[in-house]
Amino acid sequence: MTPMARGVARTPSRLFRKILVSAIGFVMPLATLVLMAFFAVNTSAFLTFDNFVAIVSQNAAVIIITAACAMLLMAGYVDLSVGSLMGLVGVVAGLLFLKGGVIAGISGALVVGFGWGLMNGVLIGIFELSPIVVTLGGLAAARGIALALAPKAVYGFPDFIVELGSGKFLGLAYIGWIALAFATASIVIISTTAFGKHILAIGVNQRASFLVGIRVKRTILTLYILTGLAVAVGAILIVARLDSAPSGTLGVGMEITVLTAILLGGVPFTGGRGSMWRVLLGVWFLTVLRNGLALMNVGAEFTNIISGTVLVVAAGLEVLQMHLRQRA
Amino acid sequence: MAARKSIQLFDLSKSYGSVGVLRDVNLEFRPGEVHAILGANGAGKSTLLGCLSGAVLPTSGTIQIDDDEFKGFTPREALEAGISIIYQHFQLAMTLSVSDNVFLGDERQTRWRFLKKHEQERLTSEVLAKIGLELNPSDIVEDLSIGEQQGIEIARSVRREPRLLILDEPTAALGKHEVEALLKLVRRLAREVGVAVIYVTHLLGEVMKVADRVSILREGRVLWTKRRDEVTVADMIKAISPDVAATNAAVVRMASPGVLATFKDFETSYCGPFDFSINEGEIIGIYGMLGSGRTDLLETIAGARRHWNGTLRLAEEELAHHSVSQAMMSGVALVASDRIAQSLFASLSAQENLMMPHYSAIARLWRGPRKEMRIFNKVAGEVKLLPASSTTAGSSFSGGNAQKLVLGRWLVGIGDVRLLLLDEPTQGVDVGSRAQIYNLLRKFTEDTVGRAVLFATSDPEEAISLADRIIVLVNGEVKHVVDPSLGEAELMSLAQSVEVSHGVDH
Repeated sequence: MTPMARGVARTPSRLFRKILVSAIGFVMPLATLVLMAFFAVNTSAFLTFDNFVAIVSQNAAVIIITAACAMLLMAGYVDLSVGSLMGLVGVVAGLLFLKGGVIAGISGALVVGFGWGLMNGVLIGIFELSPIVVTLGGLAAARGIALALAPKAVYGFPDFIVELGSGKFLGLAYIGWIALAFATASIVIISTTAFGKHILAIGVNQRASFLVGIRVKRTILTLYILTGLAVAVGAILIVARLDSAPSGTLGVGMEITVLTAILLGGVPFTGGRGSMWRVLLGVWFLTVLRNGLALMNVGAEFTNIISGTVLVVAAGLEVLQMHLRQRA
Repeated sequence: MAARKSIQLFDLSKSYGSVGVLRDVNLEFRPGEVHAILGANGAGKSTLLGCLSGAVLPTSGTIQIDDDEFKGFTPREALEAGISIIYQHFQLAMTLSVSDNVFLGDERQTRWRFLKKHEQERLTSEVLAKIGLELNPSDIVEDLSIGEQQGIEIARSVRREPRLLILDEPTAALGKHEVEALLKLVRRLAREVGVAVIYVTHLLGEVMKVADRVSILREGRVLWTKRRDEVTVADMIKAISPDVAATNAAVVRMASPGVLATFKDFETSYCGPFDFSINEGEIIGIYGMLGSGRTDLLETIAGARRHWNGTLRLAEEELAHHSVSQAMMSGVALVASDRIAQSLFASLSAQENLMMPHYSAIARLWRGPRKEMRIFNKVAGEVKLLPASSTTAGSSFSGGNAQKLVLGRWLVGIGDVRLLLLDEPTQGVDVGSRAQIYNLLRKFTEDTVGRAVLFATSDPEEAISLADRIIVLVNGEVKHVVDPSLGEAELMSLAQSVEVSHGVDH
């Protein structure tokens, strides 16, 4: 067998293909810049420090949950119940804030998030049930439990919580700082720790991962627990900001936003590749989109139409990239 | 049924460039006869079958069927000419029924494209009866046993009334009883249905039970064709792989007095119990046919399967690991057999592929990219990796280099590997890389005290070239422990599960 040619492109068409592959990688960042420029031109309120701060604060929960779910998807696993779980945790936290105070509420929320993640992790990671089936069931069940616990909205939380939700530090809301901390942590985990490498390996080849001594089941369990905890933190932050926990609407549709951001970030549904930077850029794109359209007084429906279209286009570009890579 | 003539091959040859794979093959396949074709790896069996089934276009020569002469086929033409081939890995639709599968791709339909289900089931029952398989046409395939599933593959072919049925290593995945059933079926197909059958296998015991005629292929040529009652197993072994004096006599290996690993009453799901000890610096080969338990034994020692019974001691310490990571910490590491499915991370970089088992060990939080690069470069140099590029994706490496990369995982120097296990160390690897891998393994045992290699192979040449001592594994039993000077022919005869009479006592 002849040795593989070293990575230098030899023919013009091969070089062209390599350039094209890299170029496609720039599409998403470029699209984000174009989008921001568009809004900057069309609304005076967009390109301000306060607005950007607001974007981060309003979407703190999405950022946190997306970071956790991105790690899960890189390993090839998914959690569709995050939106409903957020509703459930929010309600639990809210009720506990009213009945037991701040500590009770926060600990209760974390316990529920941990427990739910543990359940998912055991059923999916250890017993090897289908992730889509289990978390889809969870999506329905969690929402039901939330509604059962709090048929009417829960509101009026202790001052500490309200302060947490609306207070600022150095111009950025507390919850914004927490979101940034989570985002940074997720980038660090994926790119510099052994755990991060294991996640990708499991996404690429579970059998090979097992045979090099990676504790596959334990890693999957951990990822689901982290997701549950991330949802819990996100729920606390939103509930603090809203000063209420509406059981019927809290977190509805969040899983769609989260998954869209992750897929835009280049993580395929089967896992095994992806960069956390790109995922966070995906979140930024979607949140900027909604923010800008709102500033332009355009209806929320358009956000969904556009983000759905962008997702399909992004998927198409990724397939194109894959074809170009293989023939190069 | 009209009397059929034989199918004949006249001077059939196939070359790839200047490499001749088949040379002037002359063979005759008679209706009602089971014709066994034997040969070592690379002798040309697959190419020959390919020419008949339409997968390969011969370079010269002709295939004669009745009064027609063919220079070659496309798969469709081969089917139309009445040639049907059944491969080792069946292609059945598991969730469909028996009759669905028998008619898959050739369904009976009404004018309006509805399936004629009853008619298909009726015809399926007829075929099943013809070949003696008792199945309900509406049974779902995935509920059936492997033997029955293979029977369905055969029913599928037989329904088209082929004149030539080719079976390529059909018993590789079957248990003892299923093998008997298959052999019975094959005999029936030939004698009662009148099909000409080509039976390709490594297992000489089966040949003695089912074949009427035997041909041996060696280096692309037909060595001889004889009637089965004219040959013995010993004749066949000698013909397939004549005694080759140990070509690696030049390699001088030091025998070390110290014992490194001891197996006592060692038993796994398929193997043992047995007692054995491995000395420091030794390379032990496990030689056995497919299904002898080689992989089970290695993977159990590596911690990838249910824990063993009995004891395994490594350098005075009794091993008790229950997982792969624990095994690695005790100094036991495995290079698995199918590297694409079980070892390589195709889309990850070469460096990641190399370092994957060690990330937990080198740093909990901060990995050092520069340190990793240094390690990569050192190992890439040692194994002569080509391309020696840490960023190249795993899938871009050729077979030999991919295997060297995977082997390199355990030469990194992190987490002292003392017992290195390899399952089919050079499967699908070119000759040059093979020699390099053998040298790397020898170096591994010589560089540091207290190391040994245990590998499993189905290639007798590999066992003899690489091992200091060879364990012959037959159906899970450690039947013999031999010296490589035995020669390939003797080694092969020892691994057969059928009694072979031979003059030499070992």
